[in-house]
Amino acid sequence: MKWSKALLCLAPAVLTATACGQQSYASDDRSKPRVGIVFDIGGKDDRSFNAAAWNGVRCAETGKWPDGKDCGRPGFGITLRDVEPGTPVNIEPGMRAFAERKYDLIIGIGFAQAPIIETVARDYPDIHFAIVDGVSDLPNVASLVFKEHEGSYLVGILSAMTTKTNTLGFIGGMDIGLIHRFAKGFEQGAKSVNPNIRVIENYVGVTDAAWNNPGKGKELALSQIAKGADVIFPAAGNSGLGAFDAVEDMGRDASGRATHFVIGVDSNMNMLKPGFVLTSMLKRVDNAVYQITRDVVNKQFKPGLHVFGLESDGVGYAIDENNKDLLSPEAIRAAEEAKKKIIAGEIKVTDAMFQ
Amino acid sequence: MGEILNISLIWSAVRLSTPLVLAALGGMFAERAGVINIALEGMMLAGAFTAAAVTYTTGSPWIGLTAGVAAGLAIAWVHAVASIRYRADQVVTGTAINILMIGVPGFLSGALFLSSGSTPQIPKEHLVPWTPIVMAFAAVPISWYVLYRTPFGLRLRAVGENPEAADAAGIRVAAVRYIGVLLSGAFAALGGAYLSIGQSSLFTRNMTSGRGFIALAALIFGKWRPVQTMFACLFFGFTEAITIRMQGVVKLPSGEDIPVQFIQMVPYLLTIVVLAGFIGHSRPPRALGRPYQKER
Repeated sequence: MKWSKALLCLAPAVLTATACGQQSYASDDRSKPRVGIVFDIGGKDDRSFNAAAWNGVRCAETGKWPDGKDCGRPGFGITLRDVEPGTPVNIEPGMRAFAERKYDLIIGIGFAQAPIIETVARDYPDIHFAIVDGVSDLPNVASLVFKEHEGSYLVGILSAMTTKTNTLGFIGGMDIGLIHRFAKGFEQGAKSVNPNIRVIENYVGVTDAAWNNPGKGKELALSQIAKGADVIFPAAGNSGLGAFDAVEDMGRDASGRATHFVIGVDSNMNMLKPGFVLTSMLKRVDNAVYQITRDVVNKQFKPGLHVFGLESDGVGYAIDENNKDLLSPEAIRAAEEAKKKIIAGEIKVTDAMFQ
Repeated sequence: MGEILNISLIWSAVRLSTPLVLAALGGMFAERAGVINIALEGMMLAGAFTAAAVTYTTGSPWIGLTAGVAAGLAIAWVHAVASIRYRADQVVTGTAINILMIGVPGFLSGALFLSSGSTPQIPKEHLVPWTPIVMAFAAVPISWYVLYRTPFGLRLRAVGENPEAADAAGIRVAAVRYIGVLLSGAFAALGGAYLSIGQSSLFTRNMTSGRGFIALAALIFGKWRPVQTMFACLFFGFTEAITIRMQGVVKLPSGEDIPVQFIQMVPYLLTIVVLAGFIGHSRPPRALGRPYQKER
């Protein structure tokens, strides 16, 4: 079986060859600002959090979304490279690879990268770093954080005005402070409509595998449905996509309206299962990374905290042709009213991470 | 209690057990033949990705399932060639396959769908939510029959227990081991395919999240026997289904929620207790992990 030996040797060779087929760092155009982005474990195609970040940097690069549509803002012709770490241990080497090549801006996505970016940023004080969802007070790091609780509060109101069973479900990825923000904001918003509403809160897991387990996400959603929940808000990365399958399995009633709904998170996910997605809680990571890239291009980089809330459209909810018939006008009116009051400071939404 | 113990719990347990049953049966065929298969996880991932990608492209879950099984066979063949023909360390080969399969599906997905984290979602009407479940539980008695009532089963067990004696009796040790490992790839890939085109509607990176290793534990737990292994898998599925339902329902006497981390620990805690205390000695096939070299 000589051929089998040859094939065995060939397999890795083919893999490395194709991997090396991409351009190397040496081909970088150094006249342009260079931006490196290191994604979270979910990867840039999670249709959610990481996808939003990818949209933002692509927009800053070309002025277009990754699907080729115009993003309504100018591109800067930057050189853009990205790293998708398959496991947490690959994050730091990916970041250092950019730093060693003196990139102008290195963006880390996700709370888990905050301690890593601190170590790397200390070693490279002349390079600008940005961390999404994390906080660092180093003079060369910008911390891009969002008021997820405010956006979740609004979708909580929309859910409470839609539910027929007065029971809602929340599915978090990991049981961590950042996700509690979504959970508590959602619950508070729902209870502002009806104090007797029940919110069932579940978590997928306790390790980072929890973001990539759609099978378990679906089982959690089905168990919430069995307990009466008819609107489910997952904040669990790819695992949340299981909840989309679960509500679709529940089907539609005689009038063609879905009996159970799911709420998208981070990116606009209304088009994933049209008719079953009540709305999406938007977290405009795209705006945040676009702005920080623009600041670096214009040499106006500011370290420290950059907070994106309702007032700056950093968070919000999505209404488009896929879901405009699912929400009642009263629900939208209530959400808009609450939005104004939160911006004016009349409603205080609990921040479960920094309370 | 009504919120935890009800009929939906049973179905949930069955769905959660299905990929484990398939992978564990696969593991059984390899290990009964004397080849450690720690690569179940990687074979499941290969099956899950291929099934999802092919189903999405062709619109037929049957072609998808077949392709998934073919991918499992291909990976198993690599494991078999390395560990049987070249007598590589079986644990090392298996681990290498697992690590490879974290990256390869994402790489291929990026090339095919311009989306390296996951495949596109498959429409509901192209999914197979029931067939793999039926196949998994039907495979248990069939595996039992094959293992204990057919000449092939006898040979498989013989090469796993005492390859020298089997060889002396005229059994082609390597050939039987090849078949065992290939079967394990087919079963594990089917279990993975259930995850991506049965239970869910897409492949996401590393979506098995350790199920291959749990299946391996169930195999040991079930003493490398098909029926016992199935019950071990059902036990794991059942405890996971219960923990899903316990979250936020069971409270401490003080009225506070039990921490999620604690609830999610329960299945593993139970495993240790049961493994250590109740099942007695679990004896692996005697030649497990030992490459066989024909004496000259």
